[in-house]
Amino acid sequence: MPTTLEVPTLQDLKVDEVNVSSAVLKAAAHHYGSQCDKPNKEFMLCRWEEKDPRKCLQEGRKVNECALNFFRQIKGNCAESFTEYWTCLDYTNLTELRHCRKQQQAFDSCVLDKLGWVRPDLGDLSKVTKVSTSRPLPENPYHSRPRPEPNPTIEGNLEPAKHGSRLFFWTW
Amino acid sequence: MAGSKVKQDMPPSGGYPAFDYKRNLPKRGLSGYSMFGIGIGIMAFGYWRMFSWNRERRLSAMELEARIALMPLIQAEHDRRTLRMLRENLEEESIIMKDVPGWKVGERVFHTDRWVPPLSDEMFSLRPREQYLHKRFGFLWYV
Repeated sequence: MPTTLEVPTLQDLKVDEVNVSSAVLKAAAHHYGSQCDKPNKEFMLCRWEEKDPRKCLQEGRKVNECALNFFRQIKGNCAESFTEYWTCLDYTNLTELRHCRKQQQAFDSCVLDKLGWVRPDLGDLSKVTKVSTSRPLPENPYHSRPRPEPNPTIEGNLEPAKHGSRLFFWTW
Repeated sequence: MAGSKVKQDMPPSGGYPAFDYKRNLPKRGLSGYSMFGIGIGIMAFGYWRMFSWNRERRLSAMELEARIALMPLIQAEHDRRTLRMLRENLEEESIIMKDVPGWKVGERVFHTDRWVPPLSDEMFSLRPREQYLHKRFGFLWYV
């Protein structure tokens, strides 16, 4: 009996998306990772545990909200140095961070001065972290079949076979 | 004893020739100094390669961290895009198949309730072919 596909309506999926290009995202990535740590980790945990994007829409909404808020703060406070930084990245070949250290330093110091954000050290963002969440652990995220009943215990006393193993038939 | 008839045995004039006791091997190959030099040179080159590779790894770890930091945002966006496309497909399907009796909209191929990531063929079957080609071949890591 095939089941039907359940998809949330377009209204539920309507979220203010972050409409920025890859260079902008990459320029802001490290600060974004440390500032929006909580909703990000929450979302990834949900996604990992539920194995189903339909159940993590609320968390995803929070991720987007945080990202938008983050970019708004940058725009309000450090728009100039940030623009300089991401244009520099955009003009290098593979948007490699190593080519734009000067602009990065200007942006980092501006952010540190005005918003108090410290750039995370190398390795901080890729650490395995514990996340405290109020979402209950999903039961059976893979929708597995129920396990079969264990065999009933045999009553009566069990003794070794009278004439030894039946597999051993070669006698002389 | 100037008038002696006996002739004293003396070394030949110019002395005896030197004894032939030396190793007489032809000189072949590199000298020891140059072999040392080559060895040290190879080691120096190896160290240089190692340090520059470590530096490269450190730099690429930064790039990797940028990706890691952005992953939730991109994943959330991707999930929403997929679900939105599936919803649009369902609506399109209900419009197309409204005259067929007994047709169930959104009936799945799989006998399961769990989330199955949709194939791009499935998602783009009701869309223009350009979109499918763009999704399939628009960006490739390799050629």
